[in-house]
Amino acid sequence: MLLVKQHIERDGSGYVTLRPQEDEDMWHAYNLIQEGDELRGSAVRRVTTESSTGSTSSHRVHLKLTIIVSKVLYSALAQSEQPSSSSSAAASGSTTPTETLTTAPTTGAASSTAGTATLHVSGKVSSENLHVKKGAFHTLDLEVGRDFTIIKQEGEWDSIARERIREVTEPGRGAEVGAIVCGEGLANICVITNHTTIIRQRIDVPTPRKRKGGTTALGADKAHSRFNQQVYAAVLRHFDFEQLKVLIIASPGFTKDAVYQYIMEEAVRTGNKQILQAKSKFLLLHSPSHHVHSLAQILSSPEISSQLKDTKFAQEGIMLDKFFKMLEENPLRAWYGESHVMKAAERGAIGKLLISDEIFRSPSVQRRKQFVKLVEDVKAYGGEVLIFSSMHESGQQLNQLTGIAALLTFPLDIEDVLEEERQEAEEKGVEVTEELS
Amino acid sequence: MSRHRIVKNLDLDDEMDDQAFDSEGEDYDDMTEEQQVQMSSALTAVHSVLGSATPITDREIRSALWDSYFDVDGTVAFLLDELHKKEAAKAKAEAKKLARQTSQPPSARSTRPSTPAGSKPSTSTAKAVPKATPLAGPVSSLRADLEGMNLLPSSSSSTASSAAASELMEVPVDNSPPPAIAMAKEKILEEVKERERSEKPVLSLVVVGHVDAGKSTLMGRVLHELGEISDRSVEQNQRQSQKMGKGSFAYAWTFDALEEERERGVTIDISLDTFSTSTKRFTLIDAPGHRDFIPNMISGAAQADTAVLVVDGSSGAFERGFEGGGQTREHAVLVRSLGVQQLVVAVNKLDAVNWSQTRFESIRSQLQPFLTQSGFQPTKVSFIPVGAMSGENLVERRELSLDWYEGRTLVEQLDSLDVPTRALDAPLRIPVSNVFKGQSATASGLAVSGRVESGIVQVGERLCALPGDESGAVRALEVDGELVPYAVAGVNATVFLSGIDPLHLNVGTVLCPPHQPVPVVSSFTAQIMVFDLKYPITAGYAVELFHHSRDIPATISSLDAVLDKTSGAVTKKNPRMLTKGSSARIHVQLRPPTSGASRRTTIPLESFAANKSMGRVLFRRGGETIAAGIVLDVIS
Ligand SMILES: Nc1nc2c(ncn2[C@@H]2O[C@H](COP(=O)(O)OP(=O)(O)O)[C@@H](O)[C@H]2O)c(=O)[nH]1
Repeated sequence: MLLVKQHIERDGSGYVTLRPQEDEDMWHAYNLIQEGDELRGSAVRRVTTESSTGSTSSHRVHLKLTIIVSKVLYSALAQSEQPSSSSSAAASGSTTPTETLTTAPTTGAASSTAGTATLHVSGKVSSENLHVKKGAFHTLDLEVGRDFTIIKQEGEWDSIARERIREVTEPGRGAEVGAIVCGEGLANICVITNHTTIIRQRIDVPTPRKRKGGTTALGADKAHSRFNQQVYAAVLRHFDFEQLKVLIIASPGFTKDAVYQYIMEEAVRTGNKQILQAKSKFLLLHSPSHHVHSLAQILSSPEISSQLKDTKFAQEGIMLDKFFKMLEENPLRAWYGESHVMKAAERGAIGKLLISDEIFRSPSVQRRKQFVKLVEDVKAYGGEVLIFSSMHESGQQLNQLTGIAALLTFPLDIEDVLEEERQEAEEKGVEVTEELS
Repeated sequence: MSRHRIVKNLDLDDEMDDQAFDSEGEDYDDMTEEQQVQMSSALTAVHSVLGSATPITDREIRSALWDSYFDVDGTVAFLLDELHKKEAAKAKAEAKKLARQTSQPPSARSTRPSTPAGSKPSTSTAKAVPKATPLAGPVSSLRADLEGMNLLPSSSSSTASSAAASELMEVPVDNSPPPAIAMAKEKILEEVKERERSEKPVLSLVVVGHVDAGKSTLMGRVLHELGEISDRSVEQNQRQSQKMGKGSFAYAWTFDALEEERERGVTIDISLDTFSTSTKRFTLIDAPGHRDFIPNMISGAAQADTAVLVVDGSSGAFERGFEGGGQTREHAVLVRSLGVQQLVVAVNKLDAVNWSQTRFESIRSQLQPFLTQSGFQPTKVSFIPVGAMSGENLVERRELSLDWYEGRTLVEQLDSLDVPTRALDAPLRIPVSNVFKGQSATASGLAVSGRVESGIVQVGERLCALPGDESGAVRALEVDGELVPYAVAGVNATVFLSGIDPLHLNVGTVLCPPHQPVPVVSSFTAQIMVFDLKYPITAGYAVELFHHSRDIPATISSLDAVLDKTSGAVTKKNPRMLTKGSSARIHVQLRPPTSGASRRTTIPLESFAANKSMGRVLFRRGGETIAAGIVLDVIS
């Protein structure tokens, strides 16, 4: 993402203008734009004018619109699941008798790899415009290459948001990693960037299993070659070998070897220089299963972390692993869930804080502030904070684990502490509402 | 005897099946005070579930409670099971009476609430039978069972099922090319019972064990010696394997027929075969031992009644397979949690240690305690010394060197195994383990295979494939390579289907009658045993859920309670983690296909109380089996 312009006041209000450059930037925009913010971006509207004779003419108008955000919709669906046509955002309430507005279909500005992530932001138009009335609803679709400006109120450009801006506008960061997580007849084609994992395609070729006496079932060979062909086609379609740092092929058993062998044979047969030159980028890894969620393990394997040490996904995977390891070895030093982690923070016990970006997308300002403060506090006393991306399997798993977890610097029985406090409060005759995660 | 068992297992069916095997009496007088207190509170609990109108006596309840260590849920399930068996017998007697009164008009018949549908031969449509008074709560499982025998209309099931049922009433089954249903279920049941007396019962057997323990060699040899595979094919395999420089794998090639398996010398997928001993017919499932292919092994073991655990007796090899990283433990635990109660341990490759008795005994003494701990009753486990390569002590004893051994040969031991009671009366359930295009001489076309877990399937019948809305008609049935008019619980069948899109048939699909569908759910509660695992289980733990041949991503969404392993009582509510060896009640949620996608993933699943073989689940993570359990409740 390119930082075009930035002006943030001492009080945390102000604006930032950004230019998305790749798919991943949609994800960052999603994490930056909150309900209640103002968003200024370019829109294309088809304006239909009806002349006095009754004939209609329509033309497209490019315009800049500012809306007060009421809904943000991010999607990055696998190809097989992508809806054929994106739902058009209706311009309700803004039509005048002579002017009908329809949102023009977004023509995806070219990016290195075909964009699959989209961000729809809708809300009421906040500034009068020649074509659109103030107060009318509009949906802005952010696009690669088109600037947008986020305007936030006092206090809303908090440390988390500013840190994200800083991080994502740093040039030359990040690595794109391709992954084929596969098993018998099944493959997930994924593109992993620093912050996102996008399943570009799922391949599922039902393969008949062994029959009586162990013979190969009729059609199994055919299914095998169909599977290989589909994987090869997907590799060509979804991976840009110049961008890719590594292409992981991971599976249990021998599928990975068979897939790799087929890709190389096909590349040789068809003289595909791109693939042949990228041969050293292929990395065959063992995966415990063919499911995408095994990526969490694959990406925290020693082979990956040694090659891609600084990448976010590797760090997340390792951190999550550390958490579970601590839970096993010293359960009093590993806690999860809001109430437990908050209590640990209160005692200044947090050495490492694992927190999901999802928490900072909470619609409640109150809640967001609470967690921003938590992060700042932990950092203030020297703790390490890692914000997980929900677009990675590791982040998904953290989300399931209540979205927040902590490794403590010393053992602390928080369940005990909470119980004691409850009793104390009871003795004092104060009514406590038990807060359970 | 159950009181003295060392380990109380989570399986409810221990209690039930044990009774089927041994019916020795027990006295209940020597209860401790604590037990008496437990008994009276459990009794009250059972009463509250069964209601006051139940025909089950206090004596029966007490006896069942005692046997189940005061497990209320288990007791209720067991008692209802028993009750419905009794009622079924009664209803059948009535049905016979009814069959004789052929002159009676159908309208008159329909006034009898317990008239079995389809009692008239050659009809398949459900009859309009007035609704019985709806039963509430856990009793619905009883109801489901009654429906299973067509004793009740399916009105109590979900709306979808009643819609399906009404469709069935309007559309006679023979609207499609396949043959019409030939027999009423009751007739088949009678015939089956008749044949049980004259024919060998079927038992399915899975062969498990650490990689290279000699599973394929052992079974290949057994089949050869029993004459199930010809000398010619053995010779052919010998020639070919020698050509590839893998002469020692000759017998294994009987099963390892996939090109990849032969090349790599590893069993990848399960394969089925059959053989007969003097009193039994066996469905043989050769399972892969390699950890990467455990999902395939699970699919095989889920179809098995009994197991042969092959261990490599040669020096150091047994230890390698048994200690850390070895597959022996995991396999034993897996087959046990999938419902296998009888285990034959074949201590193989004893030729390599000079047929040493000391070695054999030492392996036995290492394994026995572990197996007991894993829930196998000592009396249900046997150890047989064998040499698979030379064929020693498989079918017969040859070597003088095994002269210290007095027991049975492997095949003799297999022959003496008990056959579990089959749930013939329950609704039909066939979890599909393979989908393919049939190619046999007898039938062709779209076919699926799998074990009939409960009920009866017959040619002409319409079955639905869950999950999904598709149904198809049974064009032909094949068991053991032969066409049959029907197949009953316990056998592995190939079902040729017509009128169904193959897209809707997958490994993991469950075939069942349209009017008695399996609940299709995306979350459920389960009671689990936590195995040896690397890291403790937390709320939100990402796992793979295994149910028969299905393997899907799921999340342990919440930990409801830690349970006492013996009493099942709650020891801690809402724990934050579960450690190895604990027993717990949890919530499981299937993961949607991609994050944010609204489409749900579903699985056909039943509670253990409703159908034992459809209610067992396994959880794996990171290539390890971390827990096994039974389904308590399905949440639709
Ligand atoms: N010495 C000896 N070797 C055996 C015996 N049984 C099997 N083997 C060898 O053990 C290896 C593995 O056998 P295989 O049946 O493929 O094992 P699986 O992986 O468990 O199916 C092969 O090389 C066999 O020849 C035996 O009784 N004695």
